[in-house]
Amino acid sequence: MKKLLLLLLTFTILIGCAKDDEFLEPITNEEVPQSLQIKELIGIKLENTIVTDRVAMNVKLPLDGKYRIKIRHGINNELISQEMIEAEEGDNLLRVYVASLDKSGYMIQLTDEFHNILGNQSFVVN
Amino acid sequence: MKKILLLLVSVMFTLSSYGQSSIDYSPVNTVTQVGDTLIMKFQYFKGDGNDLTLGQLDFEYNNKLLSYISHESQAPTGASFARNAWTGYKYVPKADSDEDDMDVQYIYWRDEAGNNSYETGADWSVERITIQSASALENGQEFVKYSFKIKDKFNSGYSDYSDIIKVNWANYQESDGTQIQTTRSKDGQDLSGIEGGNAGAFVINLKTANSTKTDYSYTIKNGAGESVATGTFDESGQASVTGLENDITYTAEANLAEDVDYLDEVVTVSDLALVFAEAIGAGSGPSGGSTTFDYFIQDIMGDVVGDNNGVDFQDSYEILAYLQGVDSSNTNLITQDGQTEDYSGIESTYGAVANDVVTFVKSFTPTDGTTNTIDLAHGLRGDVNFSHSWTPSVESGGKSTSARQSSARYSKTQSEDANIDLISEINDEGQVVFSINSDVEGMVGSQFNIVYDPTVLSLENVIFDTGNTMTNFSNIVQDGIVRVGSFDQNFETTVKEGTPYKLIFTPLETIENTSGLISFRVKEGVKADGTKINFIIQ
Repeated sequence: MKKLLLLLLTFTILIGCAKDDEFLEPITNEEVPQSLQIKELIGIKLENTIVTDRVAMNVKLPLDGKYRIKIRHGINNELISQEMIEAEEGDNLLRVYVASLDKSGYMIQLTDEFHNILGNQSFVVN
Repeated sequence: MKKILLLLVSVMFTLSSYGQSSIDYSPVNTVTQVGDTLIMKFQYFKGDGNDLTLGQLDFEYNNKLLSYISHESQAPTGASFARNAWTGYKYVPKADSDEDDMDVQYIYWRDEAGNNSYETGADWSVERITIQSASALENGQEFVKYSFKIKDKFNSGYSDYSDIIKVNWANYQESDGTQIQTTRSKDGQDLSGIEGGNAGAFVINLKTANSTKTDYSYTIKNGAGESVATGTFDESGQASVTGLENDITYTAEANLAEDVDYLDEVVTVSDLALVFAEAIGAGSGPSGGSTTFDYFIQDIMGDVVGDNNGVDFQDSYEILAYLQGVDSSNTNLITQDGQTEDYSGIESTYGAVANDVVTFVKSFTPTDGTTNTIDLAHGLRGDVNFSHSWTPSVESGGKSTSARQSSARYSKTQSEDANIDLISEINDEGQVVFSINSDVEGMVGSQFNIVYDPTVLSLENVIFDTGNTMTNFSNIVQDGIVRVGSFDQNFETTVKEGTPYKLIFTPLETIENTSGLISFRVKEGVKADGTKINFIIQ
């Protein structure tokens, strides 16, 4: 019994050490540049974290529909910009324009139409 | 069996420790005296096989004991570097979690904490450093070096220099976005054996509601009116002055720089409502019984025409014309873009009334053996709701009128929150439509300062649907900033619910979406009873 438990524990540790992508086939869109690819089924990703004028953004969605993209202040979470997009399931390549934002730290947030959060990323306007 | 379990635990502990990268922070030099410059380095150590290409760290320092001097990027050639700073905030770590676990704290800030990740704390300043590189950073790569001046702990409220710097969280990522597990080298940075202090330096504490205290300067003059010391305040609102002599009387005043970019946010529709109410109800000066102000100093601050005759309709129409963007052909003293009219004085007497005159006492006398510090309060003309000015605390500065003692009919202290929705989208014609949607009832006034990128958008039209009798205004304050709002001078009609304001922009280039193109600064309303409404956007 002890040997069996030890064997089970060893096997569990070995499985735990293995990388997830050995089991899951990543879903990738070849049109999406590597810097904008999102592993998960839903999310938001900017091409760069430090931005000066504008930056490419990927918004990956589970379904066609209306979504909100919000920009929040990086220290007090106050909402300072918001847009509504009508987008399709999967990757949507868009842009974030930061030239008129103050130089500061921000959070960009993807939500559904009803403000349920689907993804976050911090970025800096420099 | 026990040996096997012990071995297993040891191996797992070793593996978990090995798998953590770290953010290391420590002094570069030795400091021993108040006034010494402390140089701190923040450094990356690679504890696993991950390739770090994005390093972001957030730390706080005690601004009562340290004053920021400068920072110097240590990012490798080709890497991008950014520094952000905010004063008056302190990080709130995730409850029931390891505060040393930097990636857990980062995820908490990003995804879980919402408004709760930082609390206001006047003694603390938050710094955030971001380095992004195309190639992996080397083990031991320094991120940044900071220089701080060590301040006197005397009168600071702190008895020692422990935990004066703390790293709050770190965001280490590989190029594909994989989060790297990270720990910090210590809980907080202590300093010991600091000597000196309270040895002649005179400290001025700036008192203002404005959070950006480094925009203010001070001037100290001797009895002959000659300037003997000038300088600027640090991020905590303190200035340390040397060279003053004991038992000599000086005067001190504070001034806000005229080139800061938020001056057009100081006087708003809430100030207009207060001044209009005062003009309707009183206009009889400091001793007037029917005044609606809470403090005598508001009579001075609301006198934007500068006729020294208290607040009357001329002042209210001058502010209305300013908000509407109409040239009244009068010279006014309203704090606005490129123009400030400062008031300052010793806080304990700031706005006090003596012989029916509002006073701003500026004189002080350093004395041997006493606390060598003064609190210097500052206010701005037109800012009667004290959004960027210090509210008097002296008893004689308050008005003991029925308006104040009852329900404070037009009290500047009343405010409430209300939800609205501000959103931009591209319509079928390819125009960018920015809508202000409100279900707030009872607003006799509202104002929105909207910022847009004038290199990408051109403002074509503002569509009002506020009701038939509201006085609406929209004017471009400067290139890329438009002020939109409404106000009913009779305090009877209210802004219609629904979508009272819609801004139509034409794109100057092909765009697929509008993220970041339009943002909002001032967003406030006012009710007929003088209550200021702070709009909350979800």
